[in-house]
Amino acid sequence: MQRSIDRPLWALFVGPYGVYLVILLVVPLVNIAVYSVYTYSPTKIAVPDLTAANYARLWDAYYIQLFLRTTKLALVTTVICAVLGYPVAYTLARARPALMSLGLFLLVVPLMVSTVIRVFGWVVILGRNGLVNEVLDLLGLEPFRVMYTETAVVIGLVNIFMPFMVLPMMSAIERIPPSFEEAATNLGANWFQMFARVILPLSYPGLVSGSLLVYSVSLSAFVTPVLMGGARIRVIGSQIFDEVLVSFNWPGASSLALVVIAATTMLVLVALRATRAAARLESRQ
Amino acid sequence: MLSRGAASRELPAIVRMVELEVAGLVKQYSPQVTIGPISFEVTEGEFFSLLGPSGCGKTTTLRCIAGFERPSEGRITLSGRRLDDMPPHRRDVGLVFQNYALFPHLTVFENIAFGLRLRRIGRKEVEERVGRMLELVGLPNLAGRYPPQLSGGQQQRIAIARSLVLEPRLLLFDEPLSNLDFKLRVQMRFELRELQRRLGKTSIYVTHDQTEALALSDRIAVLSQGRIEQIGRPSEIYETPETAFVADFIGSSNILDATVQSKSGVGASVRTGSGLELTVPPVVEEIGSRLLILVRPERIRLVDGREEAVSNRITAEIDDLTYLGEDVQLRVTTAPAAKLLVALKSGKGTRELRRGGSIDLAIDPEDIHVLRK
Amino acid sequence: MSVRRPAVLPLAVILVYAGLLAPLVVVIGVSFNAATGFDFPPRGLSLRWYSNFFTKTSFVDAFFRVSLLIGILAALGATLLGAFAAIGLVRFRFVGRDSLEAFFLMPLLVPHILLGAALYLYYARLGMKSSLLTIVLAHLVIATPYVIRSVTAGLVGIDPRLEEAAMSLGASHAQAFRKVTLPLLRSSLLSGAIFSFIISFSDINLSLFLSGPGMTTLPVHIFSEIQWGGDPTIAAASALQIVIVGLLILIVQRFFRLRLMI
Repeated sequence: MQRSIDRPLWALFVGPYGVYLVILLVVPLVNIAVYSVYTYSPTKIAVPDLTAANYARLWDAYYIQLFLRTTKLALVTTVICAVLGYPVAYTLARARPALMSLGLFLLVVPLMVSTVIRVFGWVVILGRNGLVNEVLDLLGLEPFRVMYTETAVVIGLVNIFMPFMVLPMMSAIERIPPSFEEAATNLGANWFQMFARVILPLSYPGLVSGSLLVYSVSLSAFVTPVLMGGARIRVIGSQIFDEVLVSFNWPGASSLALVVIAATTMLVLVALRATRAAARLESRQ
Repeated sequence: MLSRGAASRELPAIVRMVELEVAGLVKQYSPQVTIGPISFEVTEGEFFSLLGPSGCGKTTTLRCIAGFERPSEGRITLSGRRLDDMPPHRRDVGLVFQNYALFPHLTVFENIAFGLRLRRIGRKEVEERVGRMLELVGLPNLAGRYPPQLSGGQQQRIAIARSLVLEPRLLLFDEPLSNLDFKLRVQMRFELRELQRRLGKTSIYVTHDQTEALALSDRIAVLSQGRIEQIGRPSEIYETPETAFVADFIGSSNILDATVQSKSGVGASVRTGSGLELTVPPVVEEIGSRLLILVRPERIRLVDGREEAVSNRITAEIDDLTYLGEDVQLRVTTAPAAKLLVALKSGKGTRELRRGGSIDLAIDPEDIHVLRK
Repeated sequence: MSVRRPAVLPLAVILVYAGLLAPLVVVIGVSFNAATGFDFPPRGLSLRWYSNFFTKTSFVDAFFRVSLLIGILAALGATLLGAFAAIGLVRFRFVGRDSLEAFFLMPLLVPHILLGAALYLYYARLGMKSSLLTIVLAHLVIATPYVIRSVTAGLVGIDPRLEEAAMSLGASHAQAFRKVTLPLLRSSLLSGAIFSFIISFSDINLSLFLSGPGMTTLPVHIFSEIQWGGDPTIAAASALQIVIVGLLILIVQRFFRLRLMI
């Protein structure tokens, strides 16, 4: 195992995927960085005349609004996921093994089924003649016109990204010995006090990583806002898609994509630092 | 609290108040697995142990008292109040956990203050009471530390302080010393006993370690397979076990199967299954009935040649000899093929003993205990 | 029942699971609808949308000729690349190992829609036309980290002393690995392969950019059908995907701890 000193055998193992990632991830990212300083030309798509215009453009009212709307949707989604996800994560973490496997299975299968299919299901449920409105109609109530609103997008995002919140939270709660809960109760805490004073502070890293995951995937969501928000609810994801494939403004799309990647990466780094700090707190030696 | 406990210890047991009553406690896990019925009483200021092998129901009983398990039947009464329907956080019962369950994100101070804060006690009083507890357990300088920075023994003491600061009516211990190494365990055993005597706090202590139970307890309940086998003072449990299980579980023992040959007012004569003829104390059983007798290995003594008229004299061959310093442990086979375990104080007489050699032993009749069969 | 829990807990659990499972149930229900609308509960049961699915070339092509094939190729490639990378990361000590591990998991952090756009622009610059290859290459980027994860988890669980024991019995290092460690890794390898298949099979964000004429994956085809209105054939195709993914995850859960994958 320690033979690496004389022969770099490890390079043979990690080399192929390392090189692969450079060719198919690093270089493509560099490529969009290059495109982002090219000049947009309606006829030739991109001309290699260096310019900062693509970034300056992001300060236009249109883009500011786009950022704000996308950020707001992602934030609301994250908060709802956190609030609803905690009870689920707690219940799963403390369930009997058989029940936990079932819960996990029912969490992972929807996660792994294509987003498009799940969103399609929601379109059927919330649509004008969908399940919800059929029920309301039967009850003689006003139809619920929710499709193609921000509410619809949030409903979609919450349900589609929920597993990303629950899974890390569940792992964090599982690591807390059940005797801590009993100790808190024995000392006089009711369930909510116990949760606030023991479970929450000790599973905080799970909350942070879950929230960041949900936030970053919501920030760059595409299928959900397009199918449930329609043309009116534009978000960063749909903007990039259109600039690449519809208006062929590749320099513009590149600058936008790069800014989002930078923001997401920064968030993840901050999150990592936060969880590490929390881990240190937990095992202060 | 303090003075009441101290005073009551002087009174005879009958006069003392019953603090905790467990009556007909049954916990049914499945049709096959049932604990109980278990009944016992613990008097004020008493240190009561539940002793038994794992799976005997001792921890279940403790968790029922703390409220973490719901009994299927029976009732639990603490100083006249029914506990059964009370949620665990209102029971006024302190529990010291096996792994201590100290909160790793809180300082020692905040751990001890945890219950006080929930009771919305003023800042000054919290400081005062936590300070007093830290003094009591001898760790006044550790208030600002976090639990992972403490040694096992220190964590143990903080866990006790955290329960004691709330002045519970009853203190429960769930094998609190089992995570400590041997030396520390013995030391903590003394400290725990001393603390409990000083505070006079009624305590129930769950353990599978008989030495611990014997050393700490006022009374012990020995449990096996979900039932109480015997309740008694440590000496009673050891000297006059009521069942073969108790005799076997506590200390080492020779349990022999025997038949009553003859009996009189001063004693009886029995013959063991392996053919050994022994004189034993008086028995109630009829002649010809079968019973079990218990002989503790250390009660079998060496006979030196000059002694005469020794009852229960046995000549045996030494199969195996283990030298343990203070004691010498022998496995012997007596003349009519009985295997016995013998523990002799090491000294002049034991120096000559060799494996394969012969040995003269005797058991005084009063050292033979007849068990219920 | 250790500590009594408030009733809001099961309520939230029911709500969340209802939200997760409702769309799947509704899609499967609609796929059996006898009428032409997206009705749930279905108005009468029929298998017409399934037979429709199997007779429409666009669906059959997207499912069998594109998605299934790409998924299998991506699973094979990802398993090969990922297993080697995981072995390198776990069984060797070298400078920069931790950074390399972080780099290898980077595809999980880059939002897929952005990766899709980046790859589209990259292929465009290289002049590569949309083909099976371009999509498989893209899926390998996002699928391989799952294999690395499962094989790493598997390797960490195997006591290295087993290999040492084999070597003390006369096996060479390579033989010890092949005869002892590799058989023990079988379940993690299979889990990794299955997961990378699912990732490829369900992917929409990369495929949206990389699909082209005659090279449309099933999710992309469903996406465009939904946008054009479509009929319950979409639901039949979706139901098939749900069943395939469900069965595959059931297999993984049988012999591998599912949670190590996510």
